[in-house]
Amino acid sequence: MRVSVDAALCTGHGRCYALAPQLFAPDDFGHCALVVGDGVVPNGLEEQARVGRDNCPEHAITISD
Amino acid sequence: MTNAESVPELGWTNVDPEMSARPQQFYPMMRDMGVVEAEEMMLITRHEDVVWALRHPDLFSSGSDAIDIGNIRPLIPLQIDPPDHVKFRRLLDPLFAPREMEKLEADVRALVVELIDEFAEAGECEFNGAVAIPLPCTVFLRLLGLPLADLDLFLRFKDEIIRPVAATPAEGRAMARKTGAEIYAYFETVIAERRRKPQDDMLSGFLSAEIDGEVLTTEDIMDIAYLFLLAGLDTVTASLGCAVAYLAAHPERQQALRDEPSLIPAAIEELLRWETPVPGVVRVATQDVEVAGSMIPAGATVTCLLASANTDGAEFADPESVDFARAANRHLAFGAGVHRCLGSHLARLEMRVALEELHARVPQYEVEAGKTPIYTMGIRGVEYLPLVWSVS
Ligand code: HEM
Ligand code: SF4
Repeated sequence: MRVSVDAALCTGHGRCYALAPQLFAPDDFGHCALVVGDGVVPNGLEEQARVGRDNCPEHAITISD
Repeated sequence: MTNAESVPELGWTNVDPEMSARPQQFYPMMRDMGVVEAEEMMLITRHEDVVWALRHPDLFSSGSDAIDIGNIRPLIPLQIDPPDHVKFRRLLDPLFAPREMEKLEADVRALVVELIDEFAEAGECEFNGAVAIPLPCTVFLRLLGLPLADLDLFLRFKDEIIRPVAATPAEGRAMARKTGAEIYAYFETVIAERRRKPQDDMLSGFLSAEIDGEVLTTEDIMDIAYLFLLAGLDTVTASLGCAVAYLAAHPERQQALRDEPSLIPAAIEELLRWETPVPGVVRVATQDVEVAGSMIPAGATVTCLLASANTDGAEFADPESVDFARAANRHLAFGAGVHRCLGSHLARLEMRVALEELHARVPQYEVEAGKTPIYTMGIRGVEYLPLVWSVS
């Protein structure tokens, strides 16, 4: 599973990194940065990826397999 | 200090208490209509459309025609459209980013504990006067480096603008303009003092901040501070009041938070969704634009009804139920798009710490028998929240 954050859509609500801190983290502006730089979701964190996606008001997070 | 005893007079901003107590009941009908035309204003009501509009500031401008809150220049960054808007946000976002807010937590907690210890043994309190009003105001004064003695002055400033006790809207605007002039004068004086003698506070920090190689002017800093005052106090008071009023009326929910404080952040998000204390944000259409099958004409004042979007069944499963374990919650209580609330991480911090300490220190509370919380229109808050609990 891969996860990506569209920086053009992210406005820093912070829902993703509050709920799924193992995958998402805030940058200095409070926008989302991926903890795993390459976007490959580590085994066992698939649910965190979904939680992030499903709670982002800007639809900035997408998942592909 | 703050008026804990008297119920404020009802001004023209208040309508039928039935309607303001449960506005959620009207939204399904409005969403069915898509765009609602009401008194010189068009309302966008569906989640998808609200997000779309807020993501198109080129079509829906936040320029100063949209709202008048006593200001004479555009408020920064609220009334600045792209492309300039982002320059201010690049400057301000780091100051309100989660990492910065974490540094405030210990201070905020000490303040909350101090406020709650005042009344925990008494078995009763008026929650607004005791916590929901002084908390955000004190945090704000400390953040900007202003004297705590100015607390009452600041409360008067924001109340006279947000909740003017006036007979007509025109009279309300005139009052707001007068108070606005006082706010500008206050900050102009403080900024001049900081220029002479900088301190370790946010206002002093602004003095050397640059945009496109130019330092902020005194006017810029005044326009930022003015907005902070109006955006960061009443909203938190209202959100906390709504949350605690809800919990007072739902003892089993309240107990769940007391038993399991780790539920509090999710409960806050869900209560923000359900109550949506800032029910709508205003824009002006820059051109004719079609939304949900309706034509919005250029120049029309448009309200994006966040509150209605937040109970839209097309976005939320079982939208009328308040579910602290909701799996997907894309609520818009802090807006969406480029103007997403700058203070959202601060607001969340204040609310979380307040609810944590309240439930750790006060047993099952309820609204005093015979009293009914009165909800306000405009910003949705409760005017007066008398709580009681038993003390051993
Ligand atoms: C729970 C409390 C709060 C709620 C519900 C709330 C809600 C909102 C909403 C809905 C907006 C978007 C306005 C628009 O799109 O036109 C906004 C913007 C803003 N809020 Fe908050 N707010 C809260 C607390 C705060 C606090 C504590 C601050 C502290 C400084 C703050 C500062 C701002 C600022 C500066 C903006 C303008 C952002 C921009 O235009 O780029 N807010 N807020
Ligand atoms: S929830 Fe969405 S908008 Fe908010 S920080 Fe995460 S990716 Fe960005």
